[in-house]
Amino acid sequence: MTAFSPTNAFRLLRRLAAVGLDTPSLYLLISEAPNIQAIQADITAEAQVQLGVGPRELAATDVRIDRLEDASAQDPDRQVTLITLDHWMPKLVKALDRNIVLLTRSGAVLLLAKPEVAERLLAAAPNLRNRLTDVLEIRLDEAFGGPMP
Amino acid sequence: MQTATDSKPGAVVFDRRQVYRPFLERLNPIGSQNHLADDLIVAPDHDPRDTGEPPIHVAFANTAELTRGSQMALVGGIGSGKTTELLLTQKDLSRHTDAVNIFVDMADYTDLSEVSPGAVLAAAGIQLYSHACLRLQKQGKELPETIKSAHTKLRELALGKTAWIHEDEDYGYEPDRFVEVTTPGVMKLRFPPLWPKAEQIQKPLISIASPLLESDSQITLLIDGLDRLIQPELFRQFAEQDLQALKGTKISVIIVAPLLAWYDKSRFLQDYFDVVKHIPAAAVGPRNSAFLRQILQRRGALDLMDRTEIAAIAKYSGGVLRDLLTLARSSAEYAYRDDEDRIGRPHVNAAIKQLGNRYLVGLGYAQKRLLRGLTNDGKFPIENSSARELLVNRQVLEYFKGGVDYFAVHPALAKVLPKTE
Repeated sequence: MTAFSPTNAFRLLRRLAAVGLDTPSLYLLISEAPNIQAIQADITAEAQVQLGVGPRELAATDVRIDRLEDASAQDPDRQVTLITLDHWMPKLVKALDRNIVLLTRSGAVLLLAKPEVAERLLAAAPNLRNRLTDVLEIRLDEAFGGPMP
Repeated sequence: MQTATDSKPGAVVFDRRQVYRPFLERLNPIGSQNHLADDLIVAPDHDPRDTGEPPIHVAFANTAELTRGSQMALVGGIGSGKTTELLLTQKDLSRHTDAVNIFVDMADYTDLSEVSPGAVLAAAGIQLYSHACLRLQKQGKELPETIKSAHTKLRELALGKTAWIHEDEDYGYEPDRFVEVTTPGVMKLRFPPLWPKAEQIQKPLISIASPLLESDSQITLLIDGLDRLIQPELFRQFAEQDLQALKGTKISVIIVAPLLAWYDKSRFLQDYFDVVKHIPAAAVGPRNSAFLRQILQRRGALDLMDRTEIAAIAKYSGGVLRDLLTLARSSAEYAYRDDEDRIGRPHVNAAIKQLGNRYLVGLGYAQKRLLRGLTNDGKFPIENSSARELLVNRQVLEYFKGGVDYFAVHPALAKVLPKTE
């Protein structure tokens, strides 16, 4: 797969902290499948430490398009939403693509996917691709030799 | 830039977030009313396809004001600035006190992956009802019963309803006893007849709009979101049903259409709409480059980067406005990551590479061959389905310069595209 800039949970959340949660952002995070659970845990921990919020974690099967915007707008403690796309779901991707404005109005939305899913997502969802803040290859802290300064 | 810290009383430390955060907040690439209010939008000063014509938002506003009931389409690629043009049009239309401007992003009302004709009428009707209520309230008038019941009916048709009926209730409807027989007529209709659902929604909508229309209000619907359907034939259904249902009502419509509708051989857009405007990507040239640079400068870019970096971002955005803002944002984030106080060329280069890679991912052999053909020979077969995908995905951009339409590979993609397979 095409190489994207590497990051880890610490650096990603540092970036979000710099921008602040008042500015909407939408990231696609690519991770090898075996690391996904550990990365979810890293992101949750870093969000609590650096932003003081607990991310709303959603599996792809739990995503309700009509609820995403409401939930992030109404709950200031849930301004980071982490959606894990652990397998290819064309119907969900189509819904995300066509209703993309609902994901990009407030807070940060992190889409976490394994490389195969990310590749298909980018190819199949032109509206979403165009609105991504960035695409990053997210690794575990150990892969960076511990948190970066 | 400096904040007090509690580590040493009276000590002051540098907080780099405060360098970048205001800039990043102003780079939010989603067109919004806030940007207009904050004067962050740089309004184009001419039609992108004709420097002698007024800008699109002015042309749309003038048409809606002078010819009530006109229907206009705005077509352009993803991120080309269509929503911003709608917002600018809405602002222009608001100069008249009798203007009722209804801005609807269809995604706010319905799941666009399952939307069907009639939805535009329903969304417009719900918004018109709010305006009619407010208008009558200001005039100290009671809301007529006909409008209340029309609104109830409209909501039922839009959102559905649940009724409790006896399970044995007989409707006297036995569909199996009827067989459809169609006898063709001598005339083929230009547009198909209204579907029963669209016709049903049309009636309460017109009732709701009647007090506004009777007082000679200038009603304009600005409909955003249907361009995200991508396929022209899906968009066409809404035009043929929802917009056709509004013909003759004196309600003007400005709707954004998917880019492929511009290239549709049937020329439906041009045949159906009274006015069609196209926003191509901003081609490289002194005038457009100045426009792109101005967009960044209005948002404070010169405080954080030099003119050469701004010029590089403008160039590699390909003239796609959202890419322009994305590149500026990524560059700022990379500079922050590197603990730099200003955005340098390496940060801009990293952002360009990231954007290029984003366009590169998922490209197959056939698509890469098309891209190389376009780069080397200037050939791009727009009737080819792979070519159209490249255009929709903004890997190829459509330009208009000197009276000529042409295509080019997105410059950020061109930078990372392997020269050979």
